[in-house]
Amino acid sequence: MPEPTTQSTAAEPVSPGLADAGPESASGKESSFAATLERIAPTRDERLFLVLSIFIGVMSGLLVVAFRIAIDWIKLLTLGSAPHAYQLRLIFVPAIAGLVVAALVMWFFPAARGSGVNQTKAALYVYDGYISMRTVIGKFITAALAIGAGHSLGPEDPSLQIGAGVASIIARKLNMSRRRLRMFAPIGAAAGLAAAFNAPISAILFVIEEVIGSWSAAVLGSLVLAAISSVVVVKWFLGAEPMFQIPVANFKDPRELLAYAVLGVIGGLLAPLFSALLGFLRPRMRALPKWSLYLQPAVAGLMVGAIGYFGFPQVMGVGYDIIDQALHGQFIWQVLIALTLLKLLATTLSFSSGTPGGMFAPTLFIGAMLGGAVGAFEKHFFPGLAGTVGTYALVGMGVLFAGFLRAPLTSVFMVLEISGNSDIILPLILANTLAFLISRSLQPVGIFEIFTHQDGLDLPSMEEQREESSLHIEDAVQPVDVPVVRGSDSLQSVADLMAQAKAHACLVRLPDGSWYALSAEDLTAASATLTPDAPVQRALKPDRVPQLFPDMPLDTALHHFPRWPVLPIQNRASRGTLEGVLTLDDVLTRYRGGH
Amino acid sequence: MMNSSQVGVVLTPEERLARRRLILRDAVSLLTLFLITVVLFILTWLLHRSFTDHEALLGQRWKARGVAALHAGNPRAAIESLRSALAYVPSRDTEVDLATALAEAGRTQEAFAYFNTLRESAPGDGMINLQLARLAAKQGNEQLAILRYQSALDGTWEGNGYERRREVRLEMAGYLITRHQDDKARAQLLIAASNASTDDAAAQTRIAGMLEQAQDLSDALNIYRAVANLHSAPLTALEGAGRAAFNLGMYRVAVAYLSREFASPGAASLPAQAKGADQNMLDTANRVLLLDPADDLPARVRAERTLTDRNLARARLTACAASPSASPKLAPLVTRWNQLPQKMSLYQLEQQPDLNQTILQLVYDTEKLTAQICGAPTGDNAVLLRIAQNPGAVEQE
Repeated sequence: MPEPTTQSTAAEPVSPGLADAGPESASGKESSFAATLERIAPTRDERLFLVLSIFIGVMSGLLVVAFRIAIDWIKLLTLGSAPHAYQLRLIFVPAIAGLVVAALVMWFFPAARGSGVNQTKAALYVYDGYISMRTVIGKFITAALAIGAGHSLGPEDPSLQIGAGVASIIARKLNMSRRRLRMFAPIGAAAGLAAAFNAPISAILFVIEEVIGSWSAAVLGSLVLAAISSVVVVKWFLGAEPMFQIPVANFKDPRELLAYAVLGVIGGLLAPLFSALLGFLRPRMRALPKWSLYLQPAVAGLMVGAIGYFGFPQVMGVGYDIIDQALHGQFIWQVLIALTLLKLLATTLSFSSGTPGGMFAPTLFIGAMLGGAVGAFEKHFFPGLAGTVGTYALVGMGVLFAGFLRAPLTSVFMVLEISGNSDIILPLILANTLAFLISRSLQPVGIFEIFTHQDGLDLPSMEEQREESSLHIEDAVQPVDVPVVRGSDSLQSVADLMAQAKAHACLVRLPDGSWYALSAEDLTAASATLTPDAPVQRALKPDRVPQLFPDMPLDTALHHFPRWPVLPIQNRASRGTLEGVLTLDDVLTRYRGGH
Repeated sequence: MMNSSQVGVVLTPEERLARRRLILRDAVSLLTLFLITVVLFILTWLLHRSFTDHEALLGQRWKARGVAALHAGNPRAAIESLRSALAYVPSRDTEVDLATALAEAGRTQEAFAYFNTLRESAPGDGMINLQLARLAAKQGNEQLAILRYQSALDGTWEGNGYERRREVRLEMAGYLITRHQDDKARAQLLIAASNASTDDAAAQTRIAGMLEQAQDLSDALNIYRAVANLHSAPLTALEGAGRAAFNLGMYRVAVAYLSREFASPGAASLPAQAKGADQNMLDTANRVLLLDPADDLPARVRAERTLTDRNLARARLTACAASPSASPKLAPLVTRWNQLPQKMSLYQLEQQPDLNQTILQLVYDTEKLTAQICGAPTGDNAVLLRIAQNPGAVEQE
């Protein structure tokens, strides 16, 4: 079966349709099977869904633990137990690993390129939740090799994709329905990310913010189950402590918020720069001749290795230990600034070269260094500030996460979860919000959307979805311009009123407070069978118009028009009181942009 | 559980069979999934165990290397090793060692940042506060250094807290002396002396030596004397007592202790330079005692010494006044000399204690003023100047 991929080559973006030929070709057989299933076991999918969520969580957790240990083992075996500047291996190891990774990706695992977030989104929206076993294996091997050998990338996004892949494989093996199959990928993604961060809430939020795009009760329960299961596994292996521990910092003086606001502003300026660099370099490198794709990861590795060789080995690999050192104030601000800029450069090189690996850890790294630098600088000139350099580094992580990855809600919860420190929630929210707003105003398109467009795909932008201002009934409602009659009024009087008003319908108020929209055609039909003095309510069918209120989404009214010529819009506070009426023309006019 | 739509659905025999097959297949699938999970768990556990064991080994190895390098005075190598140790096995001890290595390597700012962070999690840790005090001292931040020294004194210490606090106090006093805050240093030293056991000769002698540096010769002498009175008085205490007494002008006391020093068996092992200096002090003190017209001397002897001192001072005045520039400044002193009788006998001085005292006062004033105008005297005039500076102390016990 051809591999569904979002990033096969630069020159030939794979057509989603072709790539998904496997699942498509089986669709006829599947639909027949689904119909049979629906008849003989209609609740099977629902029951299995929850049970499988736990399995997905546990297996994702195990794979992510193995993935992280694999990275550490590879690092030990290739870079040694204490890599430091001026070791020649720092230059050669990432370069050789780049060659191997490039060959693996080009020959065996083309879908393993990239971070994994967009690939998971593509699986959800394009390939009906299909992620192949080969992709999972390829992602595991190539990302572990690249990151372990010192490429400046992170393990979280690959973990997310590995989790989504596990979910997809399990769901397929269990012959789940296509609708369910599509829902499994984000569940696995949440499990994988939760395991990578040891933080279930932020993983769930990220998947909702960036992958699914909306809160869905149908998926939420399974997301939670899977994320918690995976985190339980990770805690069992790696310990229950938060990923980073910083000294407690009591936030007391509101004036100190200004210092954090400065950090938010600087983070908001740096994030678009990072995006712009990636957005500039990545397509240009992918546009180079195909043979160069074999060399790009090696060249990137050579350059990242050179940064390490000439004094800054901290930028190589994941960098959690370096983040921890920054959180503990172990660097002076000049070093922190140097690490911020060099990590930004190293990550841009590694990622743009197509080396498999994620953006989360580098983002956190850059954010922590930036926060630490700003904090140390501010504390140098204002020693009275209560926050430690560590707290600024911690807030900095959230700032860049919000500004660069554009997941503001996740950024707050992630920092709280990975530090286990809730004292900084106020400065965190302030700085993250500022960074998010500034970054968005400078670079309206988020990084994941940039990559999506570069890959020739058209996946939904969650940020745009959030920004969309949905229309409500109150935006289209019109004054009551049709006759309003009582149910006890005679057919004749109603007909006279309609004729007088030249209306195509009228609203009938019934004794129980409900409403009926009677069309002129219905009235004419009733007149043929009933006497003129018969009450109009005898001409009505048993159903009633739905209760609609001005604050409801406009699209809720749409599907009522085939049945009703006009819809009464009622007042919530005073039932039965009309706010206005709505016709199909009114709704369509509003959607077309008219008033 | 069946939903409402399912109620009343009648399945054909084939469908019932298919349903049973489906349930069986799902059960087998779930069992297979469970077995795969178990296998995956075992593999992950083996991988994890192998790595954590290796990590612990690496942590211990790097920590040992780091500590060894630190003790060998190679802080740069220690930094690299301790950082590696921390990456594998984080521990507070290693963090403190790393910060210490940073400080010793001269990476003051980094060490300061590191220790500050460590202090935030343990503000009462004596060792961390001490290191911060040292770094602040190195950075010239006197106020912070004193604050941190004080925090170190009030902080908690592992092991012998009493001894460590005393060391901190002495270090702080030493720092205060270098900053010319002698009063504060003296206060810390006196606390240290009172806290230290009187039998602890080494500590008391060290404190007395620092009191000398803080210009508190009197308290230094008291401590030296207390130590010198111990059964096995150390040579340093005798030497210190002699020196302190000498500098206080208590030449009789100085002679007593310096003589004991030279008489003690260990005197031969004294460094030549120190021995020479002590010998000079002893000779000078002996000469002072020979020239000093002490009150308790027989009147005749006292008169003889007064006459000798008068002759020495007059000769010094004459020599000094020969310089044209000095002459005007010495005029009042010359006038006072001229007011004295030109000739006086021993008998006269014996009989007139007031005259004796007037002459001695003029001798002392002459020595002090000529020293200011014509420079430091030599020989017996130098000895007379010592007496002049504190005549009452010379014979003090």
